[in-house]
Amino acid sequence: MSEIFSTLFGQNDAQPPTGQTAFGSGKPPPPNQAAGAAQMPTQLGDEGPTLRKPGAMNEPFYLLRELPVGNELTGNTNLITHYNLEHAYNKFCGKKVKEKLSNFLPELPGMIDCPGVQDGSSLRSLIEKPPVCGNSFSPLTGALLTGFRLHTGPLPEQYRLMHIQPPKKKSKHKHRHHRPQDPLPPETPSDSDPKKKKKKRDDDPDRKKKKKDKKKKKKHSPDHPGLTGSQSNSNSLR
Amino acid sequence: AEKFDNLEEHLEKFIENIRQLGIIVSDFQPSSQTGLNQKLKFMITGLQDIEKCRQQLHDINVPLEVFEYIDQGRNPQLYTKECLERALAKNEQVKGKIDTLTKFKSLLISELGKVFPEEMGKYKAIHGDDPPS
Repeated sequence: MSEIFSTLFGQNDAQPPTGQTAFGSGKPPPPNQAAGAAQMPTQLGDEGPTLRKPGAMNEPFYLLRELPVGNELTGNTNLITHYNLEHAYNKFCGKKVKEKLSNFLPELPGMIDCPGVQDGSSLRSLIEKPPVCGNSFSPLTGALLTGFRLHTGPLPEQYRLMHIQPPKKKSKHKHRHHRPQDPLPPETPSDSDPKKKKKKRDDDPDRKKKKKDKKKKKKHSPDHPGLTGSQSNSNSLR
Repeated sequence: AEKFDNLEEHLEKFIENIRQLGIIVSDFQPSSQTGLNQKLKFMITGLQDIEKCRQQLHDINVPLEVFEYIDQGRNPQLYTKECLERALAKNEQVKGKIDTLTKFKSLLISELGKVFPEEMGKYKAIHGDDPPS
Protein backbone atom coordinates (compact mmCIF):
# COMPACT_ATOMS: atom_id res chain seq x y z
CA MET A 1 0.00 0.00 0.00
CA SER A 2 2.91 2.37 0.64
CA GLU A 3 3.83 2.47 -3.05
CA ILE A 4 0.29 3.58 -3.90
CA PHE A 5 0.49 6.50 -1.46
CA SER A 6 3.96 7.40 -2.69
CA THR A 7 2.70 7.71 -6.25
CA LEU A 8 -0.30 9.76 -5.15
CA PHE A 9 1.51 12.15 -2.85
CA GLY A 10 4.81 12.17 -4.71
CA GLN A 11 8.45 12.30 -3.71
CA ASN A 12 11.06 14.75 -4.96
CA ASP A 13 14.10 12.47 -4.71
CA ALA A 14 14.64 9.19 -6.39
CA GLN A 15 16.03 7.78 -3.14
CA PRO A 16 13.56 6.69 -0.52
CA PRO A 17 12.95 9.49 2.00
CA THR A 18 14.34 9.21 5.48
CA GLY A 19 12.22 10.31 8.35
CA GLN A 20 9.27 10.95 6.10
CA THR A 21 6.12 8.88 5.93
CA ALA A 22 4.67 7.61 2.73
CA PHE A 23 2.18 10.48 2.89
CA GLY A 24 4.93 12.94 2.10
CA SER A 25 4.35 16.61 2.70
CA GLY A 26 0.65 16.38 2.09
CA LYS A 27 0.76 18.44 -1.11
CA PRO A 28 -0.11 16.86 -4.45
CA PRO A 29 2.95 16.31 -6.65
CA PRO A 30 3.48 18.56 -9.67
CA PRO A 31 2.78 16.91 -13.01
CA ASN A 32 6.47 16.77 -13.97
CA GLN A 33 7.36 14.84 -10.89
CA ALA A 34 4.44 12.44 -11.21
CA ALA A 35 6.20 10.46 -13.92
CA GLY A 36 9.34 10.32 -11.82
CA ALA A 37 7.34 9.37 -8.79
CA ALA A 38 5.69 6.67 -10.85
CA GLN A 39 9.06 4.97 -11.07
CA MET A 40 9.44 4.94 -7.29
CA PRO A 41 7.25 1.97 -6.45
CA THR A 42 9.44 -0.39 -8.45
CA GLN A 43 12.55 0.80 -6.68
CA LEU A 44 10.84 0.87 -3.34
CA GLY A 45 9.55 -2.59 -4.01
CA ASP A 46 13.05 -3.82 -4.70
CA GLU A 47 14.67 -2.14 -1.73
CA GLY A 48 11.78 -2.64 0.66
CA PRO A 49 11.51 -5.34 3.31
CA THR A 50 11.02 -8.91 2.17
CA LEU A 51 7.51 -9.01 3.65
CA ARG A 52 6.28 -6.45 1.13
CA LYS A 53 4.54 -7.70 -2.00
CA PRO A 54 6.48 -7.54 -5.31
CA GLY A 55 6.37 -4.12 -6.81
CA ALA A 56 3.82 -3.33 -9.44
CA MET A 57 4.84 -2.19 -12.91
CA ASN A 58 3.45 1.01 -14.19
CA GLU A 59 4.59 0.73 -17.83
CA PRO A 60 2.73 0.19 -20.07
CA PHE A 61 -0.16 -0.51 -17.67
CA TYR A 62 -0.65 1.16 -14.32
CA LEU A 63 -0.18 -1.14 -11.33
CA LEU A 64 0.19 -4.22 -13.47
CA ARG A 65 1.43 -6.98 -11.21
CA GLU A 66 3.11 -10.22 -12.04
CA LEU A 67 0.87 -13.23 -12.13
CA PRO A 68 1.09 -15.33 -8.94
CA VAL A 69 3.00 -18.58 -9.04
CA GLY A 70 0.53 -21.36 -9.80
CA ASN A 71 -0.02 -23.91 -7.10
CA GLU A 72 -0.19 -27.46 -8.36
CA LEU A 73 -2.76 -28.53 -5.80
CA THR A 74 -5.93 -26.45 -5.95
CA GLY A 75 -9.63 -27.03 -5.52
CA ASN A 76 -9.67 -27.92 -9.20
CA THR A 77 -8.29 -31.36 -8.31
CA ASN A 78 -10.38 -34.04 -6.70
CA LEU A 79 -8.69 -34.10 -3.30
CA ILE A 80 -10.33 -37.39 -2.34
CA THR A 81 -8.49 -39.20 -5.14
CA HIS A 82 -5.35 -37.12 -4.64
CA TYR A 83 -4.99 -38.30 -1.05
CA ASN A 84 -6.14 -41.86 -1.88
CA LEU A 85 -9.28 -41.64 0.24
CA GLU A 86 -11.63 -43.29 -2.24
CA HIS A 87 -11.84 -46.47 -0.22
CA ALA A 88 -12.58 -44.53 2.95
CA TYR A 89 -15.18 -42.43 1.15
CA ASN A 90 -16.97 -45.48 -0.26
CA LYS A 91 -16.82 -47.17 3.13
CA PHE A 92 -18.30 -44.30 5.12
CA CYS A 93 -20.43 -42.46 2.56
CA GLY A 94 -21.39 -45.29 0.22
CA LYS A 95 -23.02 -47.42 2.88
CA LYS A 96 -25.38 -46.35 5.59
CA VAL A 97 -23.54 -45.76 8.85
CA LYS A 98 -25.60 -46.63 11.89
CA GLU A 99 -26.41 -43.85 14.28
CA LYS A 100 -25.87 -45.39 17.69
CA LEU A 101 -22.62 -45.89 19.55
CA SER A 102 -23.61 -49.47 20.37
CA ASN A 103 -23.47 -50.29 16.65
CA PHE A 104 -19.82 -49.22 16.64
CA LEU A 105 -19.03 -51.04 19.87
CA PRO A 106 -21.46 -53.98 20.03
CA GLU A 107 -19.46 -55.90 22.64
CA LEU A 108 -19.30 -53.06 25.14
CA PRO A 109 -21.56 -53.71 28.15
CA GLY A 110 -23.85 -51.15 29.71
CA MET A 111 -26.13 -48.41 28.38
CA ILE A 112 -23.65 -46.68 26.11
CA ASP A 113 -26.22 -45.02 23.85
CA CYS A 114 -27.29 -42.66 26.60
CA PRO A 115 -25.55 -39.27 26.79
CA GLY A 116 -22.48 -39.33 29.02
CA VAL A 117 -23.61 -36.22 30.86
CA GLN A 118 -26.46 -38.13 32.53
CA ASP A 119 -24.27 -40.54 34.46
CA GLY A 120 -21.08 -38.46 34.61
CA SER A 121 -19.20 -40.65 32.15
CA SER A 122 -18.65 -38.01 29.46
CA LEU A 123 -15.26 -37.65 27.80
CA ARG A 124 -15.62 -33.88 27.94
CA SER A 125 -15.60 -33.97 31.74
CA LEU A 126 -12.46 -36.11 31.57
CA ILE A 127 -10.73 -33.43 29.50
CA GLU A 128 -11.93 -30.55 31.65
CA LYS A 129 -11.09 -32.27 34.93
CA PRO A 130 -8.35 -34.80 34.19
CA PRO A 131 -7.72 -37.42 36.85
CA VAL A 132 -4.54 -37.49 38.88
CA CYS A 133 -1.83 -39.12 36.75
CA GLY A 134 1.85 -39.83 37.17
CA ASN A 135 1.63 -42.31 40.00
CA SER A 136 2.47 -45.89 39.11
CA PHE A 137 -0.03 -48.69 39.55
CA SER A 138 1.15 -50.77 42.47
CA PRO A 139 -0.44 -54.20 43.04
CA LEU A 140 -2.81 -54.69 45.95
CA THR A 141 -1.28 -56.38 48.98
CA GLY A 142 -3.06 -58.75 51.35
CA ALA A 143 -3.68 -55.97 53.82
CA LEU A 144 -5.22 -53.74 51.20
CA LEU A 145 -7.43 -56.55 49.93
CA THR A 146 -9.06 -56.87 53.33
CA GLY A 147 -10.83 -53.62 52.51
CA PHE A 148 -12.70 -55.45 49.73
CA ARG A 149 -14.56 -57.88 51.97
CA LEU A 150 -18.20 -57.50 51.00
CA HIS A 151 -21.48 -58.34 52.63
CA THR A 152 -23.29 -61.36 51.20
CA GLY A 153 -26.50 -61.03 49.26
CA PRO A 154 -27.77 -59.01 46.30
CA LEU A 155 -27.02 -55.35 45.69
CA PRO A 156 -29.26 -52.65 47.12
CA GLU A 157 -32.08 -51.42 44.89
CA GLN A 158 -30.49 -48.11 43.90
CA TYR A 159 -27.45 -49.83 42.37
CA ARG A 160 -29.31 -52.49 40.37
CA LEU A 161 -30.13 -50.15 37.48
CA MET A 162 -26.47 -50.17 36.44
CA HIS A 163 -26.74 -53.74 35.27
CA ILE A 164 -29.71 -53.35 32.96
CA GLN A 165 -28.75 -53.73 29.36
CA PRO A 166 -30.66 -52.22 26.46
CA PRO A 167 -32.94 -54.71 24.68
CA LYS A 168 -31.27 -56.46 21.80
CA LYS A 169 -32.64 -55.74 18.38
CA LYS A 170 -34.34 -58.46 16.42
CA SER A 171 -31.70 -60.01 14.19
CA LYS A 172 -32.53 -61.38 10.80
CA HIS A 173 -30.08 -64.26 11.15
CA LYS A 174 -31.39 -67.38 12.83
CA HIS A 175 -28.08 -68.28 14.54
CA ARG A 176 -27.23 -65.94 17.41
CA HIS A 177 -24.11 -65.80 19.59
CA HIS A 178 -25.05 -65.68 23.26
CA ARG A 179 -22.81 -65.35 26.29
CA PRO A 180 -23.14 -68.06 28.92
CA GLN A 181 -24.57 -65.55 31.44
CA ASP A 182 -27.37 -64.46 29.11
CA PRO A 183 -30.38 -66.80 29.32
CA LEU A 184 -32.69 -67.16 26.32
CA PRO A 185 -36.20 -65.82 26.92
CA PRO A 186 -38.57 -68.76 27.53
CA GLU A 187 -41.92 -69.17 25.74
CA THR A 188 -44.82 -68.09 27.89
CA PRO A 189 -48.10 -70.05 28.07
CA SER A 190 -50.10 -66.98 27.04
CA ASP A 191 -48.77 -67.34 23.49
CA SER A 192 -50.61 -70.60 22.90
CA ASP A 193 -54.13 -69.17 23.15
CA PRO A 194 -54.08 -66.81 20.17
CA LYS A 195 -52.39 -69.58 18.21
CA LYS A 196 -55.29 -71.96 18.76
CA LYS A 197 -57.83 -69.30 17.82
CA LYS A 198 -56.03 -68.51 14.61
CA LYS A 199 -55.63 -72.17 13.71
CA LYS A 200 -59.40 -72.69 13.78
CA ARG A 201 -59.97 -69.87 11.34
CA ASP A 202 -57.41 -70.97 8.71
CA ASP A 203 -58.44 -73.63 6.28
CA ASP A 204 -55.68 -73.13 3.69
CA PRO A 205 -52.54 -75.21 4.56
CA ASP A 206 -50.12 -72.71 2.97
CA ARG A 207 -51.57 -69.91 5.02
CA LYS A 208 -51.17 -72.01 8.14
CA LYS A 209 -47.46 -72.57 7.45
CA LYS A 210 -46.79 -68.90 6.83
CA LYS A 211 -48.58 -67.86 9.98
CA LYS A 212 -46.65 -70.41 12.03
CA ASP A 213 -43.36 -69.01 10.76
CA LYS A 214 -44.45 -65.48 11.63
CA LYS A 215 -45.45 -66.53 15.12
CA LYS A 216 -42.13 -68.27 15.74
CA LYS A 217 -40.29 -65.12 14.74
CA LYS A 218 -42.43 -62.99 17.03
CA LYS A 219 -41.77 -65.26 20.01
CA HIS A 220 -38.03 -64.89 19.73
CA SER A 221 -38.16 -61.09 19.45
CA PRO A 222 -37.15 -59.05 22.54
CA ASP A 223 -40.13 -56.73 22.02
CA HIS A 224 -42.58 -59.51 22.83
CA PRO A 225 -44.66 -58.53 25.92
CA GLY A 226 -44.14 -61.87 27.59
CA LEU A 227 -40.35 -61.51 27.75
CA THR A 228 -39.77 -58.28 29.69
CA GLY A 229 -40.84 -59.74 33.05
CA SER A 230 -38.37 -62.61 32.88
CA GLN A 231 -35.44 -60.37 31.90
CA SER A 232 -35.73 -57.90 34.75
CA ASN A 233 -35.65 -60.58 37.45
CA SER A 234 -32.33 -62.03 36.37
CA ASN A 235 -29.22 -61.02 38.27
CA SER A 236 -26.91 -61.32 35.31
CA LEU A 237 -25.69 -58.23 33.52
CA ARG A 238 -26.94 -59.39 30.14
CA ALA B 1 -2.51 -50.72 13.12
CA GLU B 2 -0.74 -53.24 15.32
CA LYS B 3 -0.43 -50.79 18.19
CA PHE B 4 -4.17 -50.10 17.98
CA ASP B 5 -4.94 -53.82 17.98
CA ASN B 6 -2.74 -54.24 21.04
CA LEU B 7 -4.50 -51.47 22.94
CA GLU B 8 -7.91 -52.71 21.82
CA GLU B 9 -7.12 -56.19 23.10
CA HIS B 10 -6.02 -54.88 26.49
CA LEU B 11 -9.08 -52.67 26.77
CA GLU B 12 -11.46 -55.52 25.87
CA LYS B 13 -9.87 -57.76 28.49
CA PHE B 14 -10.04 -54.99 31.06
CA ILE B 15 -13.70 -54.26 30.33
CA GLU B 16 -14.59 -57.94 30.44
CA ASN B 17 -12.82 -58.24 33.79
CA ILE B 18 -14.78 -55.28 35.14
CA ARG B 19 -18.00 -56.76 33.85
CA GLN B 20 -17.32 -60.06 35.60
CA LEU B 21 -16.40 -58.12 38.73
CA GLY B 22 -19.80 -56.48 38.57
CA ILE B 23 -21.52 -59.85 38.27
CA ILE B 24 -19.67 -61.16 41.35
CA VAL B 25 -20.52 -58.05 43.33
CA SER B 26 -24.17 -57.97 42.28
CA ASP B 27 -24.89 -61.08 44.32
CA PHE B 28 -21.89 -61.64 46.54
CA GLN B 29 -21.26 -64.91 48.34
CA PRO B 30 -18.44 -65.73 50.81
CA SER B 31 -17.00 -68.25 48.37
CA SER B 32 -16.65 -65.51 45.78
CA GLN B 33 -14.03 -63.64 47.83
CA THR B 34 -11.02 -65.32 46.21
CA GLY B 35 -12.45 -64.73 42.76
CA LEU B 36 -13.09 -61.08 43.65
CA ASN B 37 -9.51 -60.64 44.85
CA GLN B 38 -8.23 -62.19 41.65
CA LYS B 39 -10.34 -59.84 39.55
CA LEU B 40 -9.10 -56.84 41.53
CA LYS B 41 -5.48 -57.88 40.97
CA PHE B 42 -6.16 -58.37 37.28
CA MET B 43 -7.69 -54.91 37.19
CA ILE B 44 -4.38 -53.44 38.40
CA THR B 45 -2.34 -55.44 35.90
CA GLY B 46 -4.80 -54.45 33.18
CA LEU B 47 -4.24 -50.78 33.98
CA GLN B 48 -0.49 -51.35 33.91
CA ASP B 49 -0.74 -52.95 30.46
CA ILE B 50 -2.85 -50.04 29.17
CA GLU B 51 -0.29 -47.63 30.62
CA LYS B 52 2.46 -49.39 28.64
CA CYS B 53 0.44 -49.02 25.42
CA ARG B 54 0.41 -45.28 25.99
CA GLN B 55 4.04 -44.92 24.90
CA GLN B 56 3.33 -46.28 21.44
CA LEU B 57 0.45 -43.88 20.91
CA HIS B 58 1.94 -40.59 22.06
CA ASP B 59 1.86 -39.18 18.51
CA ILE B 60 -1.81 -39.99 17.87
CA ASN B 61 -4.13 -36.99 17.81
CA VAL B 62 -7.88 -37.31 18.14
CA PRO B 63 -10.12 -34.39 17.12
CA LEU B 64 -12.20 -33.06 19.99
CA GLU B 65 -15.34 -33.08 17.88
CA VAL B 66 -15.32 -36.90 17.97
CA PHE B 67 -15.70 -36.75 21.74
CA GLU B 68 -18.91 -34.78 21.28
CA TYR B 69 -20.34 -37.59 19.18
CA ILE B 70 -19.33 -40.22 21.72
CA ASP B 71 -20.74 -38.23 24.62
CA GLN B 72 -24.06 -38.01 22.80
CA GLY B 73 -24.09 -41.77 22.26
CA ARG B 74 -23.56 -41.44 18.52
CA ASN B 75 -21.35 -43.50 16.26
CA PRO B 76 -17.96 -41.74 15.81
CA GLN B 77 -17.83 -43.01 12.23
CA LEU B 78 -20.53 -40.43 11.53
CA TYR B 79 -17.93 -37.76 12.26
CA THR B 80 -15.59 -39.25 9.65
CA LYS B 81 -18.47 -39.49 7.20
CA GLU B 82 -19.47 -35.87 7.76
CA CYS B 83 -15.85 -34.70 7.42
CA LEU B 84 -15.49 -36.45 4.07
CA GLU B 85 -18.84 -35.11 2.85
CA ARG B 86 -17.94 -31.57 3.91
CA ALA B 87 -14.52 -31.85 2.26
CA LEU B 88 -16.06 -33.06 -0.98
CA ALA B 89 -18.74 -30.35 -0.93
CA LYS B 90 -16.11 -27.66 -0.34
CA ASN B 91 -13.91 -29.16 -3.05
CA GLU B 92 -16.80 -28.99 -5.51
CA GLN B 93 -17.63 -25.45 -4.46
CA VAL B 94 -14.07 -24.25 -4.97
CA LYS B 95 -13.79 -26.09 -8.28
CA GLY B 96 -16.95 -24.35 -9.42
CA LYS B 97 -15.47 -20.99 -8.50
CA ILE B 98 -12.21 -21.76 -10.31
CA ASP B 99 -14.05 -22.91 -13.43
CA THR B 100 -16.32 -19.85 -13.42
CA LEU B 101 -13.43 -17.44 -12.95
CA THR B 102 -11.38 -19.17 -15.65
CA LYS B 103 -14.25 -18.85 -18.10
CA PHE B 104 -14.75 -15.24 -17.09
CA LYS B 105 -11.05 -14.49 -17.61
CA SER B 106 -10.96 -15.98 -21.09
CA LEU B 107 -14.18 -14.21 -22.02
CA LEU B 108 -12.88 -10.90 -20.67
CA ILE B 109 -9.60 -11.22 -22.56
CA SER B 110 -11.40 -12.02 -25.78
CA GLU B 111 -13.80 -9.10 -25.40
CA LEU B 112 -11.05 -6.70 -24.40
CA GLY B 113 -9.10 -7.90 -27.42
CA LYS B 114 -11.98 -6.82 -29.62
CA VAL B 115 -12.33 -3.40 -28.01
CA PHE B 116 -8.63 -2.62 -27.23
CA PRO B 117 -6.62 -4.70 -29.69
CA GLU B 118 -3.37 -2.77 -29.34
CA GLU B 119 -3.40 -2.70 -25.55
CA MET B 120 -4.23 -6.36 -25.36
CA GLY B 121 -1.38 -7.08 -27.69
CA LYS B 122 0.99 -5.31 -25.26
CA TYR B 123 -0.58 -7.19 -22.35
CA LYS B 124 -0.06 -10.54 -24.06
CA ALA B 125 3.52 -9.57 -24.84
CA ILE B 126 4.14 -9.07 -21.10
CA HIS B 127 2.21 -12.00 -19.71
CA GLY B 128 2.21 -14.23 -22.73
CA ASP B 129 -0.77 -16.15 -23.96
CA ASP B 130 -2.61 -17.49 -20.93
CA PRO B 131 -2.71 -21.29 -21.13
CA PRO B 132 -6.16 -22.81 -20.92
CA SER B 133 -6.70 -24.15 -17.39
